[in-house]
Amino acid sequence: MSKATIATAQLSSCVGCHVSLLDLHERLLDLLEDAIEIDYCYVLVDQKEIPEHVDVAVIEGSIRNEEDLEVAEELREAANIVVAVGTCACYGGVHGLANLYHIDDVLEWVFKETPTTDDEGETPEEVVPEIFDYVRPLPEVIDVDYMLPGCPPKPESIAEVITAIIEDRQPKLPTTNLCEECPREKEDIPIEDIKFRTGQGRPDPDKCLLEQGYPCMGPATVAGCEAACPSRGLPCRGCNGPTKQALDQGAASLDAIASVSFETGVDVEEILKGLVDLPGKLYMFSMAASLLKGHRDVIFGSKGE
Amino acid sequence: MAEIKIHPLTRVEGHGEVIIEVENGEVADVKFAVLAVRGFEKFVQGRPAEDVPYIVSRICGICQTAHHLAACKAVDSCFDAEPPEGGHKIRWLMHIGNMIHSHALHFYFLAAPDYVVGPDADPLQRNVVKIVEDNPEVGKIAIELRRYGQDIVEATGGKAIHPVTGIPGGVSSPVDPESRDDLLSRAEEMIEMAYEGAKVGIEAIKETLEEYREKHDIDLLETLGNIETYHMGLVSDGDKHEFYDGEVRVVDPNGEEVTRFEPEEYQDVIAERTIEYSYVKHPYLKDVGYPDGIYRVGPGARLNVCSGMKTERAQELYEEYVGEFGECVNYSLTINWARLVELVAACEEAKMLLEDDVITDEDECKEDYEPKAGEGVGIVEAPRGTLIHHYVTDDEGRVKEANLIVATTHNVPAIELALKKTAKKLEDEIVELA
Repeated sequence: MSKATIATAQLSSCVGCHVSLLDLHERLLDLLEDAIEIDYCYVLVDQKEIPEHVDVAVIEGSIRNEEDLEVAEELREAANIVVAVGTCACYGGVHGLANLYHIDDVLEWVFKETPTTDDEGETPEEVVPEIFDYVRPLPEVIDVDYMLPGCPPKPESIAEVITAIIEDRQPKLPTTNLCEECPREKEDIPIEDIKFRTGQGRPDPDKCLLEQGYPCMGPATVAGCEAACPSRGLPCRGCNGPTKQALDQGAASLDAIASVSFETGVDVEEILKGLVDLPGKLYMFSMAASLLKGHRDVIFGSKGE
Repeated sequence: MAEIKIHPLTRVEGHGEVIIEVENGEVADVKFAVLAVRGFEKFVQGRPAEDVPYIVSRICGICQTAHHLAACKAVDSCFDAEPPEGGHKIRWLMHIGNMIHSHALHFYFLAAPDYVVGPDADPLQRNVVKIVEDNPEVGKIAIELRRYGQDIVEATGGKAIHPVTGIPGGVSSPVDPESRDDLLSRAEEMIEMAYEGAKVGIEAIKETLEEYREKHDIDLLETLGNIETYHMGLVSDGDKHEFYDGEVRVVDPNGEEVTRFEPEEYQDVIAERTIEYSYVKHPYLKDVGYPDGIYRVGPGARLNVCSGMKTERAQELYEEYVGEFGECVNYSLTINWARLVELVAACEEAKMLLEDDVITDEDECKEDYEPKAGEGVGIVEAPRGTLIHHYVTDDEGRVKEANLIVATTHNVPAIELALKKTAKKLEDEIVELA
């Protein structure tokens, strides 16, 4: 059987998904020996042109600028199957939080106002690709065949998706929320208050953090990390993105908290106050994919695409 | 005017482009453009400061831990929460684990193909897979060291890529004693591997230099990126080499000290100039001005600013390095040699930290914090150099202002200068290509 040809690319992101692929260690070498051939991967290979045809394109990162869009479209053209790898590609990722600001204000701060920038500050405009008004997830600009969220996804999950594609079967990936894989015990008691900030106090090691008053996004976040944060005494901040059933991670999170509160008559306002930073807490990794798309029109008016 | 464009830059993280402009039979200019910006300094504003170490690790998927920890240190200061000894040492060990993974990745996966497979080889063959095929023993060293580094970060930080345990005042949980025992039992073997790998790597670098001297009559050290700049890096304890915590020392191209400063004084020393064709600003030494005050950070600079290494095997390799090139080295091609010296140092330091029981002590890992208004600067040596995070918080402990100078940013002006000088040296060949 001939090997499947693969192209990988990093759009706007941190390259962590590629590092996760490397964390397969010798298993990656076995895959390269038996099943796959990497034809394009600028992070590791000196190949500068995207090939005309590949079987699978593995794309990390979201659409922040013109070059991201060009590379995404070129890979869609070249590949039979496109996999969006990581939460940036699937839902925009953490830098989707920049969508809370007008892009001019972002650039103004970075290139003119930061305290070490000298008086000759100008926003770069030559050579560099044009930056878009807001961050978009990959599926908003090209058709995506598989979504593998995670920040980054576990090495085994990346291997599973690639192997499943080669074997022409559906990949086995987590679909439940994080609570299902969290070792902490839920008593289904009402949430009265978010009384702690992340990392404060000494939480009971065995009990649900949300029920102890920590701002945990587990109920609205898809599993896949073996509850890495709750296992270390920290509430989930939602880096895997929403479950498939949830249209919107922030809304699902609020829903989980509010449904319990309504039954008990707890003041929802109080709970929201405890979150300190509502957009940041509810959409730390999925702002760019949220149903609050209206924010784009409000901020950009007709300028938004 | 003709232009040669090198795009994308390969075997690096990040998006870059090199443009060589040729006019009237000469190299007129060389531009190094960084093509991506995401605006972390803006969008962390409004976020609770305890979330910031977690957010900013996403600046870099290779050296996430350095960002996580520089931010932790800065937020500690904002909230006046000093980690107890255990918390401090767990963070330090996390940092060293990341250094081991990143240095192994950088040398064996990204840089070594130039030495081992060779600059004249087919570009499609010039990658880590070819190295592993041709030199399985080197491949094993590369994989084992990376795995060890990642295992340390997972044990201390909860996740190998984008660790999570760093919080204001320490870490959220100690190292599990079983993980500690496992990592400690592998430590000696890792030091051996790093040392063996360094010997092989240094030999490969020497052979490449030799080959070019003989075959092409080119002195690569003098030709490729030989520039005079200042050098910056952390030192501690009698100016010893330092990865994690200390004072920043700056030396001139001859190795003479020009200044030293504490993290919170960084604005007195460094300024940044925006560049019209690049999304990365050019930092420079304020007192010297731009562009004369260009400086370098990273393994080469760290060996230039220190008086020696903290550990035995690394010191031996350091002495060999200094014996070969002198105490302040301005070549660029020697940086990978320096990286191999540091990889041994990191493995030795990991063993030292793993031997300390305090890292498994539940009561020693954090001090409680209260969110409040404050200001803090955190500096660590990221694998690629000095990393500066600076935050100001409001009464609710939310970030009001943020300023970051990341490792490669410091180096960008020096990289451009090195490219300019190299292009001038190879002018005839470049004019012909254009």
